[in-house]
Amino acid sequence: MSGTAPTDSRPGTAMADAAPVLTVRGMRKEFPGTLALDDVALSVRKGEIHALLGENGAGKSTLIKCICGAYAPTAGEVLVEGRPVSFATPRGAVEAGIAVVHQHYNLVPTLSVAENLWLGERLPRRLGLVDWPAVHARARQVLDRVGLDIATDADVATLRPDQLAMISIAKAVSGDARIIILDEPTNALLPHEVDRLFDQMRGLARRGHSFLYVSHRLAEVFEIADRVTVLRDGRNAGEFDRAGLDRRAVVDAIVGKSATLVARKTRSHAQAQVMMQVQGLSGQLARDVTFDLHAGEIVGVAGLPGSGAEDTLNLLFGRFRRQAGTVRIGGTLVDLRDPAAAIAAGIALVPADRLAESMFHAESIRANISMPSLAKYLRDSVIRLINRSAEVAGTLQVAEQMHVRMAGIESPVSDLSGGNQQKVVLGRWLSTGARIFLLNAPTAAVDVGAKAEIYNLIQSLAESGAGIVFASTELEEYPVVCDRVFVFSQGRVVGELAGDRLTEGNIMTLAAGGDLPDDAT
Amino acid sequence: MTQPETGAKPALPFNLMRFLSRYGTILSLVLLIIIFSAGRPEVFPSVRNMLNILNQVSILGIIAVGLTVCMVVGLFDLSIGAMATFGGYFAARFLAEIDSDSVLVVLAVMIAVIVLAMLIGMLNGFLIARLGISPIVETLAMSFIVTGLILGISGSRTVNPSEITMTFQWIGQGRIFGIPNAVLILTATAFVLWLFLEHTQSGRNMYALGGNKEAARLSGISFTRYALMGMAIAAACAALGGMVAGANLGSGRPQGVGETYLLNAFVAVFIGASTLKPGKFHILGTAIGVLLIGVINNGLSTLGVPTFWQYIVQGTILILALISASANSVRRV
Repeated sequence: MSGTAPTDSRPGTAMADAAPVLTVRGMRKEFPGTLALDDVALSVRKGEIHALLGENGAGKSTLIKCICGAYAPTAGEVLVEGRPVSFATPRGAVEAGIAVVHQHYNLVPTLSVAENLWLGERLPRRLGLVDWPAVHARARQVLDRVGLDIATDADVATLRPDQLAMISIAKAVSGDARIIILDEPTNALLPHEVDRLFDQMRGLARRGHSFLYVSHRLAEVFEIADRVTVLRDGRNAGEFDRAGLDRRAVVDAIVGKSATLVARKTRSHAQAQVMMQVQGLSGQLARDVTFDLHAGEIVGVAGLPGSGAEDTLNLLFGRFRRQAGTVRIGGTLVDLRDPAAAIAAGIALVPADRLAESMFHAESIRANISMPSLAKYLRDSVIRLINRSAEVAGTLQVAEQMHVRMAGIESPVSDLSGGNQQKVVLGRWLSTGARIFLLNAPTAAVDVGAKAEIYNLIQSLAESGAGIVFASTELEEYPVVCDRVFVFSQGRVVGELAGDRLTEGNIMTLAAGGDLPDDAT
Repeated sequence: MTQPETGAKPALPFNLMRFLSRYGTILSLVLLIIIFSAGRPEVFPSVRNMLNILNQVSILGIIAVGLTVCMVVGLFDLSIGAMATFGGYFAARFLAEIDSDSVLVVLAVMIAVIVLAMLIGMLNGFLIARLGISPIVETLAMSFIVTGLILGISGSRTVNPSEITMTFQWIGQGRIFGIPNAVLILTATAFVLWLFLEHTQSGRNMYALGGNKEAARLSGISFTRYALMGMAIAAACAALGGMVAGANLGSGRPQGVGETYLLNAFVAVFIGASTLKPGKFHILGTAIGVLLIGVINNGLSTLGVPTFWQYIVQGTILILALISASANSVRRV
């Protein structure tokens, strides 16, 4: 992909020296205990497609929310065409000409295209009833303006993802938006759909609309963006013009020089014995994944969203149907047809979304820890009465081992902080006899101190001989946690990194479809 | 992006809403008993009347505790009314056909009817869990089918008291140590289901599924299995309640038995979910809900208040209970 050298006949470049239509100055946003944005500046010119880049947690989403009025900034100002604006509500931003198109395009799937375009506005009427011909005529005009050739009475549910993205953009344009903010619009799009979307965006930019384009797909950014602003840790980390756009420099800006200094994992507990052999595993987005996991080893699977890295974990836990491939544990073939079978085979999963996939919110800490291992605490095998005092003793031991800070084992799990909740989720697998731990973003939405604790818990699991497969949305975690990392791109493993070559920058380069300079894989 | 963590929750020394959402229903039960006792001191607060109240709500109670189990799994059962009629009619009909007064035969017939009801409940569970049909629509449809089956088999003819053995009628009308049998059956059913839900692995798995289905699946818990189990228990309890009603009436009516309990059973379960453990369905809560309904109906009629007030008071208490429960759950989010 790195071979597709962009031409210089970009549509936006014609207006590149025009006055900025959107300017952000000295933007600062504090949350209790966190500084999310620190003196951030940004300027988007008229008719420009401007990319906003940064890792998870760099402050991209916070910045957008401050621009569109969803958050009130702690300090700083937003100027539209040179005039300072401030909105208490997202509605105010819309009136000032700023529209945000979110990842899921804010469309109602059960309504028609025309109804979606009119959503939130008063429909034209005749004799007190909705004037449907007028509704469709106006919708037609809006679609024609962005060059979208679809019927206005089509159900939104029947359309392609790129058409959905364009309808959202059309809606923004019809509301006289001069600045359209796209928050990772291509996540659900196939490559040819992305091309179509980009063509239409360029057409709109030529007519004076400006885009702020948030993405972490580097290849796409290089294809579409006139200029690039990079954020890191809530600060400006670089600004690049089309002329000075160089992949290495952008990756360095995203990742930061400090990344090479982060405490890299030094001691491995990996043993010679192979614990799990994955051969040709396919399913969901993952294609033909093959690797070995040794006892005591921490293997990372890394990639951008939709690369198949995450799907590999879910396939190994039997959450999705496996299309091909075999998995052997200790040399024996295992059929991981559902989570229960995976648990029986000694596998544990910490899913990515703690709130939706792992917590039992209404239950106590005790019940949350013992849920998959209740069979250990039974008094009999017929009625399956639970021995409550054994359960309390067992879960208390786990909570102590995991350093869960709590008022008591019977406290509601919802009273715990995110980090302690995650320790509970990790701890519930200590009693099931699991030897293989699949950890998907185990440090997501936990604070810095809890992160370090969770890293330590992962290392001590490895020390005890468990095999660990680790995934994270924060690439900087891989060199800290893992012995080896497999990098995924478009469903396939495109590289294996270990030792000195295991760096955040190398992961990013491979994940974005690039090649390493001295690549030997 | 990573959301910043919110700070520790402020510890409130006493929160009125929180207190009311836990103990509000018990408080209103106590208040109503005090009011009714003051209004008719010679009638209401007697042991005789208390047993009377319990007897009046026992059938409702048996049906409601069963319904609680399926709602714990996150399901719903609108067929319990039809299943109650089913239980009452078929127990009476089978006993009339066999025409034996032996205790063993009566027990065997009752168990057979409960097994039949469980099979229908499992069919409900299968259609819901495996085919992904909405439980509300599926059980509504099933209630039509069951009602139709009863009407077809019975030819709309009631099984008369003269055809029903005395042993069966004793179950609904007799007493042991002065306590009505129906109350004893309710107590036993409620105790068994309480033990099941709170202290067995199956019960705990049901709460896990009702609380977070995906997290439960990732803990290795099968939804299909517990959907079958929950719906079977709801149907079995409904049939048992219908049998007690039939034994009490001394007749096997092919229609109009279960419908009277359907809505009240839901009221009791929802009141129960706002008692002691807000937002959770549980047997003790349901029992208190059932008791509340019994006290309201009995108390207002001993005071000579017109019947329409019973409906208004019951509706008001349900709304208050739901408000306090939702106020609590809204804060959780």
